[in-house]
Amino acid sequence: MLELQNVSKSFDNLRAVDGVSLTVPRGQIIGLIGPNGSGKSTLLSLIAGNQQPSGGRVLFDGHDITRHSADQVFNAGLVRSFQDPSLFFRMNVLDNALLPVKKQRGEQPSQAPLHRTWRAEEQKNATTASTVLDQVRLQTHHAKLAADLSGGQMKLLELGRSLMGAPKLLLLDEPTAGVAPALAYTIFEQIEHLRRTQNLTFLIIEHRLEILFDFVDSLYVMHLGKVIAQGSPDQIADDQTVREVYFGE
Amino acid sequence: MLFNIDLLATAIALLTFFGISALMALSLNLEYGIAGIPNFGQALFVSLGAYTAGWTYTRLLPLLAGNAAIPPCGSTLGQALQLRSVIMKTLPVVGLANFAITLVIAMVIGGIVGYLASYPALRLREEWYLGLVLLVGSEIVRIIVRGYAPLICGNNGLSGIAQPFHWIGNSTLSSLLFAVLVLTMAGLAYLYCERLVRSPYGRLLKAMRENDQVAASLGKNVARIRGQVMVIGSAIAALAGVFFVVNSGYASTNDYVVALTLDMWVMVVLGGLGNNRGALLGALLITLLDRATAITAIQLNTLGVNWEFNYVRYILFGIILLLMLRYRPQGLLPEPTQTTQAHEALQASSQ
Repeated sequence: MLELQNVSKSFDNLRAVDGVSLTVPRGQIIGLIGPNGSGKSTLLSLIAGNQQPSGGRVLFDGHDITRHSADQVFNAGLVRSFQDPSLFFRMNVLDNALLPVKKQRGEQPSQAPLHRTWRAEEQKNATTASTVLDQVRLQTHHAKLAADLSGGQMKLLELGRSLMGAPKLLLLDEPTAGVAPALAYTIFEQIEHLRRTQNLTFLIIEHRLEILFDFVDSLYVMHLGKVIAQGSPDQIADDQTVREVYFGE
Repeated sequence: MLFNIDLLATAIALLTFFGISALMALSLNLEYGIAGIPNFGQALFVSLGAYTAGWTYTRLLPLLAGNAAIPPCGSTLGQALQLRSVIMKTLPVVGLANFAITLVIAMVIGGIVGYLASYPALRLREEWYLGLVLLVGSEIVRIIVRGYAPLICGNNGLSGIAQPFHWIGNSTLSSLLFAVLVLTMAGLAYLYCERLVRSPYGRLLKAMRENDQVAASLGKNVARIRGQVMVIGSAIAALAGVFFVVNSGYASTNDYVVALTLDMWVMVVLGGLGNNRGALLGALLITLLDRATAITAIQLNTLGVNWEFNYVRYILFGIILLLMLRYRPQGLLPEPTQTTQAHEALQASSQ
């Protein structure tokens, strides 16, 4: 579903991403791990159109999206989350969840002042958002400002908001960062549930390997901008190069 | 009459100034307060209304009245001025039609220039560059118009831009009608902005203001949306510009300096960024302060005090801006947190 061919990104003399090739098959959860500074988040930004690659190709659903802008990538069905909670903090939870809905009539400046033209659609979207917020355990927080949520709730809202964009593939950057262990496990259970029930595909950066290994189909390991290993969780756990990078063994 | 002040005329003038200021403040509030576009060149878009009026009153008005246009500057200045005056006094339908057409053309030009002026800068990652581009652009256009005589007679300015009710013999009544027209337009602009803000489009603008990168990652074309806002905001500003110049009866590039932009910023910051009611309150308070200093200056001059009190307003505006930013950055009327009708819709569907 997502294929990266020899993707690279340079900042002056630094090669942050160096010839990365990887494949994310439809309906699978793929992990992307590596020490800090290995280029994982930069790679996600290159896929999502937040930055443009210096070289290589990004193919999604058979289409070349290499130089697409962030909004074009989103509209193709590829939705990303950010490492730090990237909510609209001065907006309430429901408005945060409604924002990614595609082709909203009320988002057209010509229609927006004519409330009658979009009220029914907004009501339908709000009902859908309410259901999604229920799924991510935020059902009692609709009217709260996003800034007033706990760290874990923020991550859950980001996940719920991503789902409102009708994604085919989700790029999640540390979905459990700053979240208590029990809730972190719950977030991954939710991800697994979404994969099973909605056939969604995931590419996930995560540092909590003990949780990630329980849920992913396979993993890519990055170090100094390159993919140094690929395989199932068991294969990665036994990989000598990975052990050297992580534990210096 | 109190201290030689005609209270009725003063009240009418206040209402007119308030309506014009409200239009300017609503425009800037939409652009910066709601959408986060720091427009430091707002005076440019107001001036477009004045320049448009300069053109229509000297070229279109005679044509509508069945006369040939006379060059408004140079040796034919007096003749052209007299022709304008006669038409506005004796042909009310022509005067009103010319004014209505001026409003429409000004809004169209304002919208187009708003988009063109901001087009390259809208694509910059750092929106404050856009503010600087607009600030510089505003001064460049002003200086060009000042040196280009055919539009509003360059440095001399253009007089005889009469208000559309000039044909009514009673000046108090004609001024009152003009004030009502200005306030009606300001009221309509308020309703328009308020409905825009309480729609999904308003939600989108606020999201873009808060984090444009995340908004782009959620499928929003930030450059296009900023362009749309500049079109709407600039059109409203140009509308204000027409009322501004018609109210004073005189078009001069000296009226559209950076200080005018500063006035609008003070209104919006004082009233409350992101709140249309705040913009109206800011416009009202700044208008009162502005008129109070102007009237005081006149009174002091009458009493023979040789001191230019008019400039006190700039000191006061500066102090207000600093105090508000330091102690109450959210303004007198803070932005409401619930922005759209989604909650009401959800409640309605669950009942």
